[in-house]
Amino acid sequence: MHGRRFDEVHEGDELGPVAHYLSKDQVRAYARAVDHYYPRFTDDEGARREGLPGMITPGNMSMGLLATLVTGWAGPGRLRRLGTTFRGLVLPDRTIRLCGAVTQKDDATRAVELDVWIESDEGERLVIGTATVALP
Amino acid sequence: MALEFDRSILGEEFDRTEHDPVTADELIAFARALGETSSCHVEAGPGLVGHPTYCIRFRGRKFFPDNLPEGLRSRMSFDAGKDIELGAPVCAGDRITVVSTVHDLYEKTGRSGSMVFVVVRFTMTNQRGELVAIVDNRMMYRGQE
Repeated sequence: MHGRRFDEVHEGDELGPVAHYLSKDQVRAYARAVDHYYPRFTDDEGARREGLPGMITPGNMSMGLLATLVTGWAGPGRLRRLGTTFRGLVLPDRTIRLCGAVTQKDDATRAVELDVWIESDEGERLVIGTATVALP
Repeated sequence: MALEFDRSILGEEFDRTEHDPVTADELIAFARALGETSSCHVEAGPGLVGHPTYCIRFRGRKFFPDNLPEGLRSRMSFDAGKDIELGAPVCAGDRITVVSTVHDLYEKTGRSGSMVFVVVRFTMTNQRGELVAIVDNRMMYRGQE
């Protein structure tokens, strides 16, 4: 299993930023995979009829993308907790940045606290959160 | 908006839903949709486990209890965020049971006025009784018009 060891990690270490082009097809694939194939997640016209600017990314998908950022950094199976706040609409068909930083280490439990967030290409933080990983 | 409600609503189970067994194809499709490439999430076989957020696709048949405070029942809520505590990973063949409770209900005043938050907690276990996840869904209601 690849990933980081507790001793290699320091407060202030950064995760990413990973630039990710979020295509409409990727959002549709997610909506299909979770049986939420609703217009707001699958087509612009349907989303506009709901008062949205166009199709949007499900909040749960944003959370999934952040989890993937964390496990890509820490290693599979090491994420223990993830909390997010959805602050703005994550619109597909554009590039987002997946970001994170180490905020705290607990020597007793070998747990590492992280800030994680998704920002738009313009630098607006659309989703913010915290995560806990347990490292060997 | 002054929020009044019966606090006995908190922690009371209002839904219990057992889902159909998870398939390997579902686990893989979910992980691939997130762009995941780790073999443990995208390759069928004995080492396959669900992506850590796979659990949030599960919910109860009923999202809110019938005894939600009257002022909230007919209003639209927004998904303000989620907190997940992870336990055992989801594997192919698992049958996940979701028990729903209202974990918290509170008011908050921000720049855009007063808001009410209802935290709906899903406690998920597998067929072996192992805790898979505790998911807190923070649903937000904007101040009454």
